[in-house]
Amino acid sequence: MKNDLCVIVVDDEYPIRRMLRTALDAHGYTVVEAASGAEALLAAAEHHADILLLDLGLPDMDGVEVTRQLRQWSQTPIIVLSVREREEDKISALDAGADDYVTKPFSIGELLARMRVSLRHSSRGERESPLFESGGLVVDRVNHLVSTDSGEVSLTPTEYDLLSELVHHSGKVLTHRHLLRCVWGEAYELETHLLRVNISNLRKKIEADPMQPRYITTEPGVGYRLKG
Amino acid sequence: MREKGLPQRLRQKILKWALTSWPYSNLRRYLYAFLLVALVTLLGVPIHFFIHPTNLVMLYLAIVVVAAVFLGRGPSIAVSLLGVLAFDFFFVNPRLTLSVDDTQYLLTFLGLLVVGLIISSLAARVKDQVEEGRRREAQTAALYSFSRDLATAGSFQAVLNTIVAHFTQVFKQEAAILLPGSGTKMELRAASPGMLFQPRELEAAERAFLNPATAERNPMEPGNGEIFHMPLITTRGPMGVLSFRRHTQAGEMEPAQHSQLEAYANLAGLALERALLEEQANQAEVHQATERLQTALLNSISHDLRTPLATITGVLDSMLEVESGANEEVFLEKPARLELIESARGEAQRLNRLVGDLLDMTRLESGALRLNLEETDVQDLIGTSIGCLGDTLTDHPIQAHAPNDLPMVRLDFILMEQVLINLLDNAAKYSPPSMPIEVTARLNDAQVEVAVADRGIGIPPADLQRVFDKFFRIQRADGARGTGLGLAICKGIVEAHGGTIRAENRAGGGVCLTLSIPVGGSQPLIEADAYEK
Repeated sequence: MKNDLCVIVVDDEYPIRRMLRTALDAHGYTVVEAASGAEALLAAAEHHADILLLDLGLPDMDGVEVTRQLRQWSQTPIIVLSVREREEDKISALDAGADDYVTKPFSIGELLARMRVSLRHSSRGERESPLFESGGLVVDRVNHLVSTDSGEVSLTPTEYDLLSELVHHSGKVLTHRHLLRCVWGEAYELETHLLRVNISNLRKKIEADPMQPRYITTEPGVGYRLKG
Repeated sequence: MREKGLPQRLRQKILKWALTSWPYSNLRRYLYAFLLVALVTLLGVPIHFFIHPTNLVMLYLAIVVVAAVFLGRGPSIAVSLLGVLAFDFFFVNPRLTLSVDDTQYLLTFLGLLVVGLIISSLAARVKDQVEEGRRREAQTAALYSFSRDLATAGSFQAVLNTIVAHFTQVFKQEAAILLPGSGTKMELRAASPGMLFQPRELEAAERAFLNPATAERNPMEPGNGEIFHMPLITTRGPMGVLSFRRHTQAGEMEPAQHSQLEAYANLAGLALERALLEEQANQAEVHQATERLQTALLNSISHDLRTPLATITGVLDSMLEVESGANEEVFLEKPARLELIESARGEAQRLNRLVGDLLDMTRLESGALRLNLEETDVQDLIGTSIGCLGDTLTDHPIQAHAPNDLPMVRLDFILMEQVLINLLDNAAKYSPPSMPIEVTARLNDAQVEVAVADRGIGIPPADLQRVFDKFFRIQRADGARGTGLGLAICKGIVEAHGGTIRAENRAGGGVCLTLSIPVGGSQPLIEADAYEK
């Protein structure tokens, strides 16, 4: 059965498009295909798409460039598809406005999950609940209270800001740069060790086992994600 | 006083002239000749009362032979002459005069003189021949020693050095060897100490090399200096030039020395050719061995890549057949279908890992590995790695320990994550289900150590170092295989960080793999408050 959602699949390789079309169709999405960056922008303009799946290895345009151009007039969620070694591409795409990424070869389940998260965030818009709950972690953004199964947790202002930003984008990956800019300011964009220290401390406070975190996961080379 | 001084200096001058302008040994030899005659004459004085004087002639002949053998041609002729005179003077009547009573003695004198001269000549010639023989023997011995040293010289450069050393030793001249470098420009490849070249001398060497025939005919043509160039000829033409410095006081070279020089040059040329061919043969052998190894590796990789593909293709073919319903007799129960699909999925993941391993190995080998170093929380690293393995570790409880005050380490997160994933994967693969895997991190001096320990089958002690070799696999009864690259990649990455990795068998069974990385001048874990905005 169909949901009302339209996906634009952008990849120059036909087998990938076919595979995605089949899988997404089976889950009720309406699929529009594009084989190049130019086609993608055209399709985005013509169709009212709810979400875009964008391969970074396009023949005519850099996937990051497509993202940038798209973001000039559209807030449609974008999930980029990339290969394992190209970390810089993923980071650039995320910083240019993409919402999330999957690495080839990816599992369809993971892709669908991330699509759902991005769609949830985009449809929510300004209607955001001040209370966040996920598997024992409770974050009250009105009263600035954080608690876990073990009780209330006391965080420093920085740690709280960090957690808050993660909650705000719960389920989506946030790059190091994004977090540093948001929590500390633009001048601190490159101070990744600051970020790591605070994430480490945050984990120690809210995770049952900091070495096997349930909430804050590391996206190697890219950033962090709050599961939710 | 002054008058005394002058004659003294003059005397010294005369003495010096007498001793140097006429070779000292010559003077001595003639002196001995005279002494010999004097000796025999003195001997004859008492004897001649009992023996007829003619018999004394034998004695004189004897000393002629002695002089010829020991003193040379000149002195032995002197002995002949002096002997005749002495004989006449002292022993022939009338005594103490040079005249003779009995004219028969004239025959004796003639005979003594002629025989004396002949003996001198012959004996001198024999002596010359003996000396010539000895000289030739010395030359041959030197040539043999040269040839033997050339045969045992290992490398091409060793041959060059041997040639120069022997040449300098035998001919007592500074020598050098020039070989053509790029194009026809001659390059100095070996030289005795103190052998320096002017540019024009290099040009002369080049000329000698390009016109070996001319140079061979006149090797003594100096090249605008005192350096002579002799081309080294081989079966394939001129190979280089042997240059040597002659001191002009030495005068013209004797033909014997010239031919000796040629003999040396020929041997040198041949030895160089042999050394060059040997080097080429060695290189060809190495090249062949490398190719063989590469072929073996490619075959192995091809097999490893195609085997999972075979499974996947097979499964898909089966599924196609079943689903298309073309062949009604073919039917698979759902559980069987699911199992097939799962196995294909597993093989696809294995293929993905293999491709990743190969790419990593290629990057490591080609030096294209760029480390993206950042201060990293080791707990984070361990946690993420464990998280990545997910299903693989369901059968193995993981115990991870790391002290809270572990400093941040400068490392490449993604690469080190790869290392830990490999180690954990190995631990899971080689230990039986339900056995725990322990991951511990600790600070040791200025290094952070991370150890992954299992309770598996362990590694044979002889292989503890070899496990880190490329494509090394431990034989397993159930045939479960990996790529054999995992540990080699770990080692490559860890060492790129300036660290070390080692494998040890544990007491009680199992293996512990420990990697050690320098903390890298990182700051200690700072209180977060210090960074409040």
